[in-house]
Amino acid sequence: MADSPVAQRWFGRFWFVVLALGLIFLQLLPLQTIPRSWAPPDMMLAITLAWVARRPDLVPVLSIVSVFLLADLLFLRPPGLLAFVILVATEFLRSRSETLRSGSFPFEWITVALIIVAITLANRAILAVTATDQTPLALGMFQMMMTVLTYPVAVLFSFLAFGIRRPALGEVDAFGRPV
Amino acid sequence: MARDRQTDEDYVGPIRRLLIGVLLLVLAGTFIVWRIDSPRVERFRAAVIDRVVPNMDWALAPVTGLINLVADFQSYQGLAQQNADLRRELQQMKAWKEAALQLEQENAKLRDLNNVRLDPQLTYVTGVVLTDSGSPFRQSVLLNIGSRDGIIDGWPVMDGIGLVGRIAGVGQETSRVILLTDTSSRVPILVQPSGRHAILAGDNALDPLIDFLEDPDLVRPGDRVISVSDGGVFPADLLVGQVVLGPDRRLRVRLAADYERLEFLRVLRNQPREAISDQGGLLTPFTSPQSPAEQDGGGNG
Repeated sequence: MADSPVAQRWFGRFWFVVLALGLIFLQLLPLQTIPRSWAPPDMMLAITLAWVARRPDLVPVLSIVSVFLLADLLFLRPPGLLAFVILVATEFLRSRSETLRSGSFPFEWITVALIIVAITLANRAILAVTATDQTPLALGMFQMMMTVLTYPVAVLFSFLAFGIRRPALGEVDAFGRPV
Repeated sequence: MARDRQTDEDYVGPIRRLLIGVLLLVLAGTFIVWRIDSPRVERFRAAVIDRVVPNMDWALAPVTGLINLVADFQSYQGLAQQNADLRRELQQMKAWKEAALQLEQENAKLRDLNNVRLDPQLTYVTGVVLTDSGSPFRQSVLLNIGSRDGIIDGWPVMDGIGLVGRIAGVGQETSRVILLTDTSSRVPILVQPSGRHAILAGDNALDPLIDFLEDPDLVRPGDRVISVSDGGVFPADLLVGQVVLGPDRRLRVRLAADYERLEFLRVLRNQPREAISDQGGLLTPFTSPQSPAEQDGGGNG
């Protein structure tokens, strides 16, 4: 079914969208109607960054934008803002993915952590500049830290469930190009 | 091969950059339009939710049930203890029920004596909770009833006992309830024995804060809190909860509604009250420039 390289790539892209929609669905389940003093990590962001850092070809710009715009609308966030910030961040990470591939995992983790911090701060900064209602600061910072800490989990999950791993140096795809 | 790839990238690179530029513009535009003209974009958001969420309806209920089942299973060990506690509580409740029944009879007699009429227009529509807000920063739920069922923005929502929130955002088949605990929720309230007016301000904690209270000394923990019709936002006399003293030494309200199990919610049909808009005709001098004959014609037509 998925043996030709083109099909394989489209399969990976398809699975990314399905995974993101599944995460949205899980977050929407009415399990928690009382306010919490803690915030769960943003798994969608962690998984997206993991896939972009490791297999940028499976996460095209259009999937990222459509998935995060839908999440913005469903989760009552300012529509378009987080999608905008994340698009800029993933483009930055995409341009670095070649460098990351030769580095060690802690280096990748630190890069992603800085990107997550930058996303959170940029989001808050734009909201502050446009004088929009902010979410509680402590809760936002907590979620940011949780997302940074769960990044290895997202990487491990992507590897075990979808076989997303860093291509080895000099590895070529079926067309003979460097991956 | 290498030259092929080169030409490939020559095409793809600029197009990709253009695509990203367009996407960034669209996203930034959406955000800016939302900031400038929020109601229009919020209507769009309600329409999107209206399209997307009912499609998940078939899966939402079973998955929620399954997860709750697992959570309940984990708590089976405490069940015997809980059972004993509940029996004891039930005994106390029976005594209270007796007292309540007697009071209700007395109340009915007194109402009859006073010829009191309760508002007959306060009827309700019941809906099922589909989803929560999906974010730890927002406290709201989505109901499976919408404008199709006659729901209108701003109507109050209760569970069986107390006020839960108000409708904010109505789609064709869904409507969103902003809970009293949400940071954007502000509701006028009355603290009962002292009759003080205040605002109930949600702050993402389970017990919302009492704000703009004029005389905090007159309000004590344990006082009943009910809604008032100030500003025509809510019908009066809906139970909200009890005053408690928060851990930060500020007065808060313990809500009467059971926020842990929001499953079926009632949306009250809140009829707008007649507003007195003109000044009393008898008191002001007659200043119409029209002739009396013309005015007669207008009145008949």
